[in-house]
Amino acid sequence: MPKKRKHLSRVFYHGVRLILGVIFIYASYDKILHPKAFAEVVYNYQILPDGLINVTAIVLPWLEMLMGIFLIMGFWMPGTVIWCNTLLVVYIGALCFNLARGLDVNCGCFSTTKGSTISIETILWDVAFLALSVYLLFFVFFKRTSGNKRSV
Amino acid sequence: MFIQFQEKASKTLGQHFLQSVWQCAAMFTLAVFLGISINQFRVSRLPLIEDWSMEALLKSPSGDRLDISLVEAKNLFFQKAAIMIDARPNDDYEKGHIRGARSLPWHEVDQRFMEVTKDISVNTPIITYCDGKTCRLSHDLANFILDMGFTNVKILVNGWTKWQNADLPVDKNGSN
Repeated sequence: MPKKRKHLSRVFYHGVRLILGVIFIYASYDKILHPKAFAEVVYNYQILPDGLINVTAIVLPWLEMLMGIFLIMGFWMPGTVIWCNTLLVVYIGALCFNLARGLDVNCGCFSTTKGSTISIETILWDVAFLALSVYLLFFVFFKRTSGNKRSV
Repeated sequence: MFIQFQEKASKTLGQHFLQSVWQCAAMFTLAVFLGISINQFRVSRLPLIEDWSMEALLKSPSGDRLDISLVEAKNLFFQKAAIMIDARPNDDYEKGHIRGARSLPWHEVDQRFMEVTKDISVNTPIITYCDGKTCRLSHDLANFILDMGFTNVKILVNGWTKWQNADLPVDKNGSN
């Protein structure tokens, strides 16, 4: 691969890593501050059993926060990108499921306040984030195992 | 500016996979530890397990039951003794609503509350409703109306479906 392309590829990788990291930290911030409100959002999705709602509302924002920090630091990238992709797939699945059911509920994507209901736009944004996340997965698991001795 | 951690060169895919498994487990464990321990020190601690049943949810902050039966709601309706308020989005309201019900979508409550309730006295019975057994819009709206000083607010759970199934008066698409 020509030197310039390799350089651009690394720059793009770092850029995507930082963008997704900031997004996850931003998404987790309000949920960490308002766990009760986030628990109501989780309840309204009508997917989890009642016994898991509060635990999810307590743990999930911290998982997002850790993912965001680790993405920015470039720390534990294999595990971080796996969680990144997993959570985004789960979120998109939950959004599609509830949109199909016609549930008019608060998305809870970036905030626990009312007003941000589920919509096609919400799903498209998450799909875009997933595309970036899949790119990171590819880079971490395949490009870095191709014998490139330079650090990323 | 950024802390970079050197990865060893030429890791196999299998090694990366094994690495990702333990890293995923460690991140999850750390998230559980952080979430639960910080929650314990909160002033408004969230219980790990809570009663999310409809009966538990349909209570006012003072603990009184907020739900009303279809029979009671019907009686108040025919006596013209209660104001029905539809908490669903305006599009759903336009497609059909309980006859005479006012539209106050929960997502527009801040903008439209005063306009919808300006001629209602604080003691007038108000019944909020939406659609679906687990719909929270009517509950959220009822609590909001109570917070605004109204004293007699009830919720007809799954009101729109129950009302139609009982062949009670409705308005649909502008017609009766």
